[in-house]
Amino acid sequence: MSWQVHLPALVLSVPLLGAFVALLMVKPILRNLWFTFILVATTVLAFLLWRRVGISGTMVYVMGGEKWNLTLPSGMALPIRIIMEVDAFGAFMILTGSLATLASGLFSIRFLDRVHDGNKFVALFFLLFTGMLGLEATGDLFNFFVFLEIASVASFGLIAFWRDSPEAVEASFKYAVLSIFVALLFLIGVGILYGIYGTLNMAAVAKNMQVGFLEKVALVLFITSMAMKCGAVPLHMWEPDAYGQAPAGVSCFLVVVGQASLYGMFRIAFSVYGQAFQGSVLAWIIIVFGLLSMFIGVIMAVIQKEAKRLMAYHCISQTGYMLMGIGLGLLALSSPQAMSEYGFTAMKGGIFHIINNAMYKGLLFLTAGSLFYATGTTELDKLGGISRNMPYTTMMFAVAAAAIAGLPPFNGFVSKLLIYESSFVVHPFLAVVAMVTSILTLASFVKVFQSGFLGPSREELASTREVPLTMIVGMSVLCLMILGLSLMPNWALSNLIEPAARDLVNQASYIQAVMGSGL
Amino acid sequence: MTIGTLYTGFGYWNVYAWIMFFAIGALVVLFIRFTGRSDYEKGTYQDEVFYGGNPVPQDGEDLAVPASSSYWGFTKALASFYEVLVNLHTGILSDYMGFLIVTAAIISLLILL
Repeated sequence: MSWQVHLPALVLSVPLLGAFVALLMVKPILRNLWFTFILVATTVLAFLLWRRVGISGTMVYVMGGEKWNLTLPSGMALPIRIIMEVDAFGAFMILTGSLATLASGLFSIRFLDRVHDGNKFVALFFLLFTGMLGLEATGDLFNFFVFLEIASVASFGLIAFWRDSPEAVEASFKYAVLSIFVALLFLIGVGILYGIYGTLNMAAVAKNMQVGFLEKVALVLFITSMAMKCGAVPLHMWEPDAYGQAPAGVSCFLVVVGQASLYGMFRIAFSVYGQAFQGSVLAWIIIVFGLLSMFIGVIMAVIQKEAKRLMAYHCISQTGYMLMGIGLGLLALSSPQAMSEYGFTAMKGGIFHIINNAMYKGLLFLTAGSLFYATGTTELDKLGGISRNMPYTTMMFAVAAAAIAGLPPFNGFVSKLLIYESSFVVHPFLAVVAMVTSILTLASFVKVFQSGFLGPSREELASTREVPLTMIVGMSVLCLMILGLSLMPNWALSNLIEPAARDLVNQASYIQAVMGSGL
Repeated sequence: MTIGTLYTGFGYWNVYAWIMFFAIGALVVLFIRFTGRSDYEKGTYQDEVFYGGNPVPQDGEDLAVPASSSYWGFTKALASFYEVLVNLHTGILSDYMGFLIVTAAIISLLILL
């Protein structure tokens, strides 16, 4: 038996161990080494998990059982233990999240030199990492709630990390109240399904699912709570506050944490309810969330004057593309013809956009962090002519801005192309909104580039220097990923995206991995 | 499958064709630059900024277009739309909760009815 069968557990336990041990570090150098080691180790484990799932299919892991793969002990009709279940979609999300977290962690190391309680930062960072990975690895509804809470509580602390800033504390407080409220909504939904089916396992619930009134109530609670957590319009208003006030490395990290909530929404819609939920209303709710998020997010971004706040609105806008792409896939779920006509292409676009957004949006937040580190401000009216002093940051900003705006030949164009073409089949209006959003995205990043990086130098910024090496390395990880995804879109689609889309659509294989052949 | 060619189901897209396009564009730019004036000398009066015949401000701040002035016409034309939109973003937590409740109610109506 290969040790790799334990990867679903290892990928969670390593960052969790990292969180608790970080508090014991007596010297900053030891803490920084520990921080880097755990980040790299978890990313390697995430890569191995993704590779193994690609080779041998969906992995299950029973926590606390006599055997790691005994999902249904003899005599049991339903699983009784917590089961981790990682299919290609989950593995893709874990790998994407780990890569973005590695970059944000490396970038944050030099930030730690500026704070006196860096150990707490590292502990919260790894708790958030554990929470995010847990959301993407679990096959259990209550366990999902637990990881949601772990991630939430850690992010409250990280958003308010500059605790001398009233705005940061206020942003964290607002996010905390909303998060706790929606987590309780989610928990009520879990309770409803547990009351009906007597199990918390997603696959077991999905196998027995017969959608009645109470199941629909639970679905409303799940969709509302996940829409708020991923920042879909009109539940997005916490996001500019939180992303704008958090340290830049944390903002980058929060992008992929938000995507974990998006994962939760899609997992419940496709794998738990799936075709048992008749009709297209759920798909259209997700598509409308997507349309509103795309347009309102970008239109608000255009008028922002602070770089991180502007980027936060773009994060909302980019979430809209993912919601629309995968919503279109859900719309086509019950019709094989529609799925082959546009649904699968839309899903590929939506899922490709998840990794693209994690990379370029993460990089944009890191470049904003570099600006803050070097100049002490991210107010665009106070910046100008930075490109001469910070050439690496400028170059990486230009790459990320071109990618998010969907300019060819960058990766953002590929995922948007798939979404444009498939959404056009359903209704041209959807494609028009997506394209207008893309144009406005380009416009607002041209504004940032022109006012922040180009133009004549300001006297007060004359002594600005490029950021330290570790911060450049952190940004480079994401920049290289963007270039790689741009130059090898076929490889990315064949190896990363299509397996994830296939597994997300295939509810039967998700159920079978836990419940066996008694489907 | 051609290297770098992505078939979307509706058409195709080739990343290397675009890179080639940009490379050719760059060569054209270099050619135009090469055909420019040959009497240019760096560090002379030729380097001075032409600022509409006016004295050039010393600080770049006085010379640059600030971000708050960007897209002035766009935002002015959509002023009434932006007024509504910005007013919705109050920053008040109870308003955020209100949006959450109303959204949950709308989703409930759509799914339950």
